[in-house]
Amino acid sequence: MNGMQWMASAMHAARSELETATHNLANASSDGYRRFSAHLALTDRGLVPSQTRTFEQGALRQTGRVLDLAILGRGSFQLEGEHTRSGAFVTDRNGYLANDRGSKVIGANGPIRIGDATTIASDGMVRDHGRIVNRIPLPPGSSLQTGALEASNVNAIGESLAILEAQRAFETAQKTLVAIDESRQKAVNDVARLK
Amino acid sequence: MNRAMIAAASGMAAQQTNLEVIADNLANADVAGFKRAAASFIDVNAGGELGLGTAQLGRHAIFAQGKLMKSGGPFDVAIDGAGFFSVVKNGKLAFTRAGAFTRTPVGEVQNAAGWKLEGVQLPADALRVTVEKDGRLFIDTAKATHLAAGSIRLAAFIAPESLRSLGGTLFAATRASGPVQRFTPGGEGRPSIAFGMLEKSNVSIVESMMQILSAQRAYEANAKGVQAADEMLRIANNLHRS
Repeated sequence: MNGMQWMASAMHAARSELETATHNLANASSDGYRRFSAHLALTDRGLVPSQTRTFEQGALRQTGRVLDLAILGRGSFQLEGEHTRSGAFVTDRNGYLANDRGSKVIGANGPIRIGDATTIASDGMVRDHGRIVNRIPLPPGSSLQTGALEASNVNAIGESLAILEAQRAFETAQKTLVAIDESRQKAVNDVARLK
Repeated sequence: MNRAMIAAASGMAAQQTNLEVIADNLANADVAGFKRAAASFIDVNAGGELGLGTAQLGRHAIFAQGKLMKSGGPFDVAIDGAGFFSVVKNGKLAFTRAGAFTRTPVGEVQNAAGWKLEGVQLPADALRVTVEKDGRLFIDTAKATHLAAGSIRLAAFIAPESLRSLGGTLFAATRASGPVQRFTPGGEGRPSIAFGMLEKSNVSIVESMMQILSAQRAYEANAKGVQAADEMLRIANNLHRS
């Protein structure tokens, strides 16, 4: 790897950091969203960027709506074909607990039917007229809060800073690249000139 | 940079939608029977990898009960509990929580927009009307008092959040909401009718103002993201010239 290649990889890394920050910021209002954090690894191929999802709990927002559920601790809701931490649920036309796109929430005994006398307890137990009919599976130590939603764990200030940092890192790498280019130009045009 | 720009732009669009919903809530904060709405968003991801911003998951009305307030109208009714009034206009059926009705010369009962309360027909000689908790109507005439004159039945849906908003306080049934189920109000712990009352909107002005502020700030932050991506593109484009 020469200097120019190093700087090119640094520019690529800054771009990746910008992508992570803008993706996080875009989801500042997505309930249950867990932000990605950007990492850089120093390898013999230059700087290699990667992202991992974070697991910090998002703030709980009280809504008082009975079908709004928030998970305190680890775990997620199992929907048809996907997992989510976003618990703003509604009932679908057959009375099953589902998200706004109509994807049903899957409990330990299959889809969860919501009737007039259905209650969901903090341990995930779904009761109808006091009798346990289903369960929302939760890992040990986690609990459910009804009437609340987990807000996105994105911190807008942190992400704005990350955007600035990425921009500056990109500029620095670009300036260095240009400087290397100029010194090479000198080497080729002046030092080697036979006169 | 292009991915960053797409992500940031999707964030701006989401906050724009958010602002529209909150502004609509605020504009209707004083409308009796209005139900606030909420938009929800979800990240666009590709199997755990970093995705491309955000997308709208949905928008639904929140049917939390509004406070009941005494009103002066001679035919004002409110629902205490879940359910809707069925109203008709030009053969179309709609559902509402707004119960500010007046009496027409031909004995029908309608709201300000001309939607008539379904199934109610008052006799021409009715001087005064009262409505019981269970929806039964009684009238006083010049000759007699407390004569039965039909009743108001309420409508319910399995999935009320999937009703389609017709603007203001009116909703229409959809495939996703399930068919309308009629029921007679009243009874212990069940929805009932409060006569001489109106239901206030369930919009909290303070909460809405806070939501507006945070949506505005989030919009600005996303706009900064677009700018940064643009600036970096400019720098990259200038590489060969400098």
